[in-house]
Amino acid sequence: MVSLISYLIVSAALLGIGVYGLTVKRNAIRILFSVEIIVNAANLNFAAFTRYLNPPQVAGQVIVFYSIAAAAMEAAVGLALILVAFRLNQSIDVRKLNKLKG
Amino acid sequence: MVQLVVPSDLVFVLLAAVTIIAAILALQAKELIYGAIALGLSFIGIAGFFVFLDAPYLAMLQIAVYVGAVVVLILFTIMLVRREETEAIAELPERGQGAIGLWLAGLLAVAISGVAALAGPNLPSAPQPGELPVASLGLVIEAEYPVPLLILALLISAALLGALVLAKVEK
Repeated sequence: MVSLISYLIVSAALLGIGVYGLTVKRNAIRILFSVEIIVNAANLNFAAFTRYLNPPQVAGQVIVFYSIAAAAMEAAVGLALILVAFRLNQSIDVRKLNKLKG
Repeated sequence: MVQLVVPSDLVFVLLAAVTIIAAILALQAKELIYGAIALGLSFIGIAGFFVFLDAPYLAMLQIAVYVGAVVVLILFTIMLVRREETEAIAELPERGQGAIGLWLAGLLAVAISGVAALAGPNLPSAPQPGELPVASLGLVIEAEYPVPLLILALLISAALLGALVLAKVEK
């Protein structure tokens, strides 16, 4: 029987992978990947806690529903920003996006 | 009557391995486009977890929205942005940063797992009996969270318009 801890550990591992990507990667699209992975880890936690609560509540699934919609929008806006950055800079290396630096 | 799908340990471990390895590949694959496909595989793994957690609607939504929309959007963006030079330079981490990122990520994952393990005896080891019927999700949204739904609709319109305006090419 799979316990709640297994889900929490999978979620923590995904969070770790996402944080590694956010810290190390220089490609803006990879950073977007990392954000999506972290959001997915959080969603997994919500769904798992909902299922293991006594008695099961559906509220966690509602949160995941909203979270998925919000993450899809975040991806759309993020990708549009990346396109603009590429058009202005001919690069999506985040270390080179420093035009706002004083 | 909905039958609760309970995974055996082996199935769970396999699914977890697929999800986590695909997530690592998404960040580490040489070609950005293979990374995007690995990301889609990782999302499908999460959808599998949702099935095990008695949330078939969320699994469907996950596949429709993430695999169907987000990954395809990412693929198109990669095709628009793609450049040999961008691909090559952007993948090399700066010196020392790889180690810092690895330490930070490992520390976070181990800390959270440790807290979960400490709380272990108090955490339920099996899913609680009781159904979460798919229809109840819609009923709960309607009855208890209608305002967030409206705000979400506004947010979606605003975000999509914003994305369109941002991506528009100025003549």
